[in-house]
Amino acid sequence: MGAADPPAMEVTARRARGVPTAARAGIGVAALLLLPFAVGDFWAYQLGLLYLYAIAALGIGLCWGRAGFLPLGQGLFFGLAAYLSGSALIAFDQSWWLLVLIPLAACASGLLAFVIGILVFRRRGESGPYFSMITLALSLLAFQVANNWESVTGGFNGLKGIPGLPGLDSYTAAYYVAAVALIGATLGTGWLYRAPLGVLWAALAHNERRAAMFGFDTNRLKAVAFGASGLLAGLGGALYAPQQGLVTPQLCGFGLSADLVIWAAVGGRGRLLGPVLGAILIGALTSGLRDRFQFWEIGIAILFIVVVLLVPEGLVGVFVPLERWWGRRAHRAPALPAPERLTATRAARLEIADVVVQLGEVRILDRLSLAFEQPGVYCVIGPNGAGKTSTFNMLTGELPAQAGRVAFDGHAIERLQTHRIMRLGIGRKFQIPSVFAQLAIADNIAIALWSGRARRAELLRPRLRRWSSVALDELQARHPFLADVERTAAQLSHGERQTLELAMALLGEPRLLLLDEPCAGLSPLETAAAIELIGWASRRPGATIIVIEHDMSLVRKLADHVFVLHNGALVAEGSVAAIQANAAVQAIYVGAEK
Amino acid sequence: MEPVLVAQALNAVFGIASLAIVALGLAVVLGLLGVLNLAHGELVMIGAYCAYVAQVNGWPYLSAVPLAIAVCGTLGYAVERWLVRPLYQRPFDTLVVTWGLSLLLRKCAEAMFGLGYKNLREPIAGTVEVLGATYPRFRLVLIAVSVVVLGALFLWYGQSRTGRRIRATVSNPDLARALGVPVTRYASATFVVGTCLAGLGGVLIAPLVPVQPFMGFDHILMSFFVLVVGGLGSVGGLVTGSAVIGGANSVVSALSDSTGGYFFVLALAILFLWLRPRGIHGRG
Repeated sequence: MGAADPPAMEVTARRARGVPTAARAGIGVAALLLLPFAVGDFWAYQLGLLYLYAIAALGIGLCWGRAGFLPLGQGLFFGLAAYLSGSALIAFDQSWWLLVLIPLAACASGLLAFVIGILVFRRRGESGPYFSMITLALSLLAFQVANNWESVTGGFNGLKGIPGLPGLDSYTAAYYVAAVALIGATLGTGWLYRAPLGVLWAALAHNERRAAMFGFDTNRLKAVAFGASGLLAGLGGALYAPQQGLVTPQLCGFGLSADLVIWAAVGGRGRLLGPVLGAILIGALTSGLRDRFQFWEIGIAILFIVVVLLVPEGLVGVFVPLERWWGRRAHRAPALPAPERLTATRAARLEIADVVVQLGEVRILDRLSLAFEQPGVYCVIGPNGAGKTSTFNMLTGELPAQAGRVAFDGHAIERLQTHRIMRLGIGRKFQIPSVFAQLAIADNIAIALWSGRARRAELLRPRLRRWSSVALDELQARHPFLADVERTAAQLSHGERQTLELAMALLGEPRLLLLDEPCAGLSPLETAAAIELIGWASRRPGATIIVIEHDMSLVRKLADHVFVLHNGALVAEGSVAAIQANAAVQAIYVGAEK
Repeated sequence: MEPVLVAQALNAVFGIASLAIVALGLAVVLGLLGVLNLAHGELVMIGAYCAYVAQVNGWPYLSAVPLAIAVCGTLGYAVERWLVRPLYQRPFDTLVVTWGLSLLLRKCAEAMFGLGYKNLREPIAGTVEVLGATYPRFRLVLIAVSVVVLGALFLWYGQSRTGRRIRATVSNPDLARALGVPVTRYASATFVVGTCLAGLGGVLIAPLVPVQPFMGFDHILMSFFVLVVGGLGSVGGLVTGSAVIGGANSVVSALSDSTGGYFFVLALAILFLWLRPRGIHGRG
């Protein structure tokens, strides 16, 4: 694959490097603080500005490199905070109020970004390009507003004569304010990357459907990512006003938005420090060389295209081999017991009544009624096109039902969104194994453990990545590769991936588990192991498991009760023996006329 | 009929036609290849600069058409071959790469022609009397050309053997390839047709707008909104989308100002994203 591989992600918390992270961070911080003495006033001033841009570029890295969507109008949030903070500085010159108002200006940008994220990410699926276009349009709109609304923004010439921060008015002080803000923003973003939230962002970037199936509200998570990026841009903008003393509409518009994306890409969007490096390096080169080379900006645009096509990991990719040489050893932090599921643990009751699903001319489910009252293993069989997988898709909220009811524990769920349905205590395994290929095995497992267990605020605590459970110990004893800390899920074989997904579905300890041909594509040996695993899971008290299966020999081993579907409706149900004796079922499978 | 009403009606038709002809190239590339070409607006800009070059050199205005088709076609071929083709499996990256291309083309235009606005003379001057209303002749020509181009594309795509094979390519590229359809060549040809249409759109609207390196933004955004509202895959959708977006923009702009119109169109597009994500005429 080579160049086509997506950028690698730093999402392995269970690793520590040879030189302690704190020491390396210390070296970086010391370098930033001593730099002005080395480069002189002019460059200290330039760098101070670039640090603010670097803070905003961090946000691009967060959205694009981590959560997988690209904002093209980040200048909007930078500019908004700059105007707010500039107005506050003019109105309350030297007052202590500013200590509250300037952070509030940054927060206003973050809040706006979050709200926009909520609005745009409301629908699942095609939000990638749409989102980018809408952010682009919003930033151009912001430029127009800033340009035309003269009484508030000062129009084309902008807000002029903005005083500096109280007591920090010298060039050197401005540099240190920017440097401290950059350090804080980088540490904060790094924290988010290590926390479950950051792992979930990386997870949904590549497999949003799977993340939703674990009960995570992916649209909300993306909106939070966008809100965080808006807050970072806002922090840069709020400090820009006192540093530069001038805020013009250009900040909101296309130019800065585009530069931020270029810097993040060239520096390396997939890693924390990539966008920072890109902003400082490319920014400094541009301000030094733009006037000397006529075609500098054309060159930068070409560089950007080359990076996207051929070097998605960017400049920081160069440091990866260096990092290995520097020393990296895997070690294991002590595991923490995961808490019980947040929802009830009693046996599930599921009732599907008269459900109709129609797509165009085709009636996929035709007044289907199924009832699951007792714990146990239910098998759903039927010829291809009978509506088995569609029943699962309808249950998990992906196929809307035109008519009929679906009740889980007596509550109607047919109108709920996927993540809400799954959160009630439902787990699902797909027919084609669906795992988070870019993430380490440990992170795949951690996400499954958080499902239904982690409270919202806990997603900010990195220690959740050390969660373990009795079931996990048991699974790792049966399948030692699940304890592998080095490999990512992409490096697993097909059979291992099937096992990993099955293990992940089991680890959430759902009350109702939906398995879609769990043995598809497995060798006889792997099939026996999977059957054994499903049997083990079914012995947990109160567990209800519904299995779609073609292979009658497996059905005979697994099923307590069998449903036979044909043309979207129930044809027969009963024990395996009763089904095999049923004339209608034989007619369907053999094709005999009645 | 009242002459004022006739003029208003013609204005409305003109608004729809000019939006539709500019959006057409984007619709072809997005609808058939699934590639959102963010450099579409810049290709429109290149078409407009071709018209400018023709006029400055004293060439007949019509010579801008082959010029724009040559420039945009060559560019389209190169872009598809070297930038888009490696990325068909990564649709998100085509967006990013064409965005980078838009940046590059804008900077190139800036280097060649400068930042200033260029105003072009209308190549067909004067007015005609239509049902009692006097109306600029060039605008009528633009309406006619748009109708002819849209109609021709509609008929060709629906009737011809190539059209059928392209439809097969769109619905299942692997199967089409297995049946001997030259999928790669069709993709390339489709992209080139899209870029040529963008260039043609640029030539047509050049005399009516200020020509400058940043003009592409308005066109890509408005074209995109037209497709969001109208849906992909039909000429009817394109016309409906143009009518809704063009109509909403001009009515709200007249009531408040251009910022208000722009804001309203944006809000409309977001609303469609929620309620009709496949647009008014979208399939499925």
